[in-house]
Amino acid sequence: MTAISNMSRANALPRRSTRSVIARVTTQKSVRAGAVWGIVFGLYIATQALTYATSYKTVASRRLLVQQFGHNAGISALVGPANQIGTVPGFTAWKCLTVLAIIGAVWGILTSTKLTRGEEDAGRWELLLVGQVTRTSAARQALLGMAAGATSLFALTSIIAVAVGRSPKVAISAGGAVFFALAVVSSALMFLAVGAFCGQLSTSRRQAAGLGSVVLGASYALRMVADSSAGLAWLRWATPLGWVEELQPLTRPRPFALVPIVALVIVFSLGTLYLAGRRDLGAGTLSDRSNVLTIRQLPTTPLGLAAYLSRSVLLAWAASIFAYGLLLGGIAKSGGKIITSSPSLRLAFARLGVSGADAYLSVALLIMAVALSFVALGQVSAARMEESSGQLENLLVRPFSRAVWLIERIALAVTALVLGGLLAGVSTWVGAISDHATVKFSSLLSAGLNVTFPALLLVGVGVLVLAVAPRMVSITTYTLFVWFFLVEILGSVVNMNHWILDLSAFHQMAASPAAPIAWTANAVMAAIALVSASLGVELLRHRDLLGE
Amino acid sequence: MTTPAIETFALAKSYGTTRALIGLDLQVNEGEIVGCLGPNGAGKTTLIRLLLGLLIPSHGRAEIFGMDSQRDAVAAHRRLAYVPGEANLWPTLSVAETLRLLGQVNGKVDLTYQAELIDRFSLDVTKRVRALSKGNRQKLILVAALMTRADLLILDEPTSGLDPLMEQAFRLCVHEAKDRGQSVLLSSHSLSEVEALCDRIAILRAGRLVEMGTMAEMRHLSALTVEVTFSRGVPDVTKIPGVSSVDVQGSTLRCQVRGSVEPLLNSLANSGVRELLSREPSLEELFLSHYGAPAPDVANDSDQ
Repeated sequence: MTAISNMSRANALPRRSTRSVIARVTTQKSVRAGAVWGIVFGLYIATQALTYATSYKTVASRRLLVQQFGHNAGISALVGPANQIGTVPGFTAWKCLTVLAIIGAVWGILTSTKLTRGEEDAGRWELLLVGQVTRTSAARQALLGMAAGATSLFALTSIIAVAVGRSPKVAISAGGAVFFALAVVSSALMFLAVGAFCGQLSTSRRQAAGLGSVVLGASYALRMVADSSAGLAWLRWATPLGWVEELQPLTRPRPFALVPIVALVIVFSLGTLYLAGRRDLGAGTLSDRSNVLTIRQLPTTPLGLAAYLSRSVLLAWAASIFAYGLLLGGIAKSGGKIITSSPSLRLAFARLGVSGADAYLSVALLIMAVALSFVALGQVSAARMEESSGQLENLLVRPFSRAVWLIERIALAVTALVLGGLLAGVSTWVGAISDHATVKFSSLLSAGLNVTFPALLLVGVGVLVLAVAPRMVSITTYTLFVWFFLVEILGSVVNMNHWILDLSAFHQMAASPAAPIAWTANAVMAAIALVSASLGVELLRHRDLLGE
Repeated sequence: MTTPAIETFALAKSYGTTRALIGLDLQVNEGEIVGCLGPNGAGKTTLIRLLLGLLIPSHGRAEIFGMDSQRDAVAAHRRLAYVPGEANLWPTLSVAETLRLLGQVNGKVDLTYQAELIDRFSLDVTKRVRALSKGNRQKLILVAALMTRADLLILDEPTSGLDPLMEQAFRLCVHEAKDRGQSVLLSSHSLSEVEALCDRIAILRAGRLVEMGTMAEMRHLSALTVEVTFSRGVPDVTKIPGVSSVDVQGSTLRCQVRGSVEPLLNSLANSGVRELLSREPSLEELFLSHYGAPAPDVANDSDQ
């Protein structure tokens, strides 16, 4: 009897667990990622609120800020309209909402396409779908799991926003902070749904992410147009990022703008479920006419192949860096005035003997350092994926050594980073001179190179981790990046031990062009990168090739 | 004396406490086709990945044409071609692009033979890899390996996913390779394929080499199947030396005889034998006889 009951329990357990396995796995992964980004979002909000409260203490300094930026069309197009920036809540909303909405949207697309189309591409859903899980049920489970991820993102962002709001210097009500967190996270939620829908249309995760990026790009472009002139403000209602702005958290909260946001999430989720039940597993709803080729430029070497496979991502980054350089440079003079109007920032830069546009551009180029770090992280992950997918084996069973493969991968990453840095410098210079700012081409070019060093350090460390603990590459390098970033932004508002500050590559990087480039610090970062990468190349020879 | 195509010396691989391959000594001579048999987890794929330098041995070493498979991996790979059981190729490349890329990395390709192989395996070179079925991907990876005319072919489940016609095409290619003096190590679950193609057979079990030899040698060492039909009652043969697996169905006796059949024949001389048939064991029977008994030292799944 005991044996029989044991058997029935053994039979029953797997059946229950396989029915909901997709929901459980998706929830686990997305909640973890959502929590990490929730902390980053919350800390970013806290930093901006506290920085403003300490930098603009007097009514006069805040009035000056409003006069300079309250109606600046260029800045409005870039980061949204500056409503009530004479108050801590208004300034915090202005500095955080658009930036975090975009980051949230990118996170949403990448997470959603990875957890739906990516899992399908890897063949992990196939085993479940021949059992008791239908395609519609699999999609429903994935959507529920991602909703849990968005909830964790919202929860962590809210908790930190409410906590910082309780500070007397910030004084944001708990309700206001929660609504602000909701506005910030609403973009991620919408693009999770958009990503899932694109996953049903496309034949691969890469294509799905590309489609989602097109939607995000169009949405951002429309929002920019809408925010560039008061007469075009109605256009905000035509774009998801515009709806997020229309929520106007912390200034004039308008909860009814949640209606189109919720409607979009519902429509795209229902669309995902509808299409999931009506297409073949592994196929896309859109016809794939590109399955048959005629003539194309062929990659004939592993390096050419790596460059060829990375070309879309690298070109997208190059275009983003170029566009952002033009935009950031294009408001160099106005940006310089922000520095001038902030007593604490003015003082900080005065110590360096600079002010105005140079000081502003050095802050702007920090954004480029972050962008280039993402390029570096992407390149390291791509190398690991080439190994874990088994594609690398096709090369290594031929007369092609592991060392040459890795060196070529490193060369590709370094080339992309250096060119990206130069592009950042050149585009920012072009933008700055179009705004009639007085900046030297050579100083911005070298400032562009300067921002590549933290990214080079990430590549070096990433290569070493790839060689010794390949399955830990992503978690290690992303954690290192988050550390660099958090220490840098928190270090600007709280007094941190200099040992902690020194451990951030962004802190080691000089604020060029405002400050002279710290060649010694850069050389140390380059040397660590070189030694780590060399060790990685050597150690890779002594381990097994590992799959996922 | 020529250098063996493959030679392993006490080759071993462990994953933590799991011993996937234990002290393997194996030799594949030039121009020889050796089949490698064993159930899942026997260590076949581990052996192949060690030979290719994709895994690092825990003990011992392997040589390809006298070159160390780890230290001189690049030089060794110039003389070999490999076909995995499952091809993980780049989905966005076309068949032609994949062949060109792999050929370029390989350094040498017999283009005439490549064209012949493409024709023989009916491969559409204009298609993207992601649009190919499993069988067609396998054909692509087969063509990519065979077109190099490498001195040594290491084939791990090469016909998985191929239809019977393509399997015939594959067998023809292996025969051609042998005629050209190429060596082949063939790991397969298809016993008929191994029986038809291989000069010698290695049987792995739980990470150990339990049998190695030609079919004739293995048959000689293995039991003969004897079937006897009697005109009257069936005698008891269970006590006769060398006789095992006795099965009586009506007036018919089936048994296995290991060693000399003389004691059995002597005992049957006055038993009213109406018909007597004997045959050598098939490879399937040989294979099953090695796996009928429990493993002495169970290795966990190592065919990874």
